[in-house]
Amino acid sequence: MTVDQISLLLQRVAGGDRSAFEALYAASAAKLSGVLTRILGNRAEVDDAMQEVFIRVWQRSAQYRPERGAGMSWLIAVARNHALDRLRARPERAGFRQEVARDEDGQDPLDRVADKAAGAEAGLIAEGEARRVVDCFDELENDRALAIKGAYLQGISYLDLAERHGVPLNTMRTWLRRGLLRLRECLDR
Amino acid sequence: MSDTFQSDAWPPEDRDDLLAAEYVLGVLPAPERQAVAKRAELEGALQERIAAWENRLALLNAAYEDGPVSPEVFPRVEAALFGGDEAPAPAGRRRFGWLWLTGTLVAAVLALAVVIWPQFPPQPAELVARLDGGALVFEARFDGALLQIDRSGPGAAEGQDYQLWAIGEDGVPRSLGLLRGDHEALATDAIGPGVTLAVSLEPEGGSPGDLPTGPVLAAAPLTSL
Repeated sequence: MTVDQISLLLQRVAGGDRSAFEALYAASAAKLSGVLTRILGNRAEVDDAMQEVFIRVWQRSAQYRPERGAGMSWLIAVARNHALDRLRARPERAGFRQEVARDEDGQDPLDRVADKAAGAEAGLIAEGEARRVVDCFDELENDRALAIKGAYLQGISYLDLAERHGVPLNTMRTWLRRGLLRLRECLDR
Repeated sequence: MSDTFQSDAWPPEDRDDLLAAEYVLGVLPAPERQAVAKRAELEGALQERIAAWENRLALLNAAYEDGPVSPEVFPRVEAALFGGDEAPAPAGRRRFGWLWLTGTLVAAVLALAVVIWPQFPPQPAELVARLDGGALVFEARFDGALLQIDRSGPGAAEGQDYQLWAIGEDGVPRSLGLLRGDHEALATDAIGPGVTLAVSLEPEGGSPGDLPTGPVLAAAPLTSL
């Protein structure tokens, strides 16, 4: 596997290196903007969120642990957490809730990952790992796997999921939790 | 939400891990989500569970496509972090947030000290600070040589330590040591009026470097009695 440049830059940023911060921004802004756009679905809010995400990246870079995972994965976690905080703070009323039709375009986000090991190429995960994760999602029932992927990628809430599947909220939660336990059992095997 | 969710229907060893998974997925409603985030700030074990789920699901990140980047964003980030007085204050409230605040406090205390200096007795006054972190409070008292710290609230979780820092006029935190017991007495000469004390949460044994790495749990300037 190639050297994780993002990880190296993050460690320099943790030491207060502003030129490393600029390089880190150049290397990751497009990807993080993609994450925020997918979850927030609102261009005006994305710029605002981007600013806050990179302020947090600078402030929290010392909390990044290279042995725990790839630099880009850490950056995406910061961006996702911020986007989700914003999303959940929105009033849960029709018209304010996130527009959620986009994951019904029939495309499974893991398909191309499985074919091209895109995750490994992008430095997100080791190559052997990528295959294993795809296999573990394949072991899940199809609609459970789709619900987990949809929640992760777009920030779909339990409330939205329950509505979409036409089941009570807690039925949804129990159902998804069983899927998560099976996924963990397979991945940690 | 008329039906209540019975979290105790799950095996005890799985409850926190499922909560961590739900937090990472992002499915929780705002109050529960905030409660998990707040707990994770203080509980290293929960932090580890969250990190483990982030790694398990990291492959899904490959499905995010690049988005548009406005040229205005980075200059605004730089202005917020490094700009002068006219720049907006950072939205975050961690390390640099309180360093900035500390600078302001130090300036205010110094200004006050200059104004009332002639009235001070020549011998060093006793200094005190109350570091209020909500459920966790540290009371500090400095007699010119010995710094005594009393803690009320929970000790650090297994695998973690509270670390005490002194921040002087230069704004750079200097470690004074770990706070493991309910009461600690530390000999130091790095303290005087205007110095701010801060407690951060660190891995067991303290920060691996010269600066705090974990969240700041409480901070307050030392003041004369």
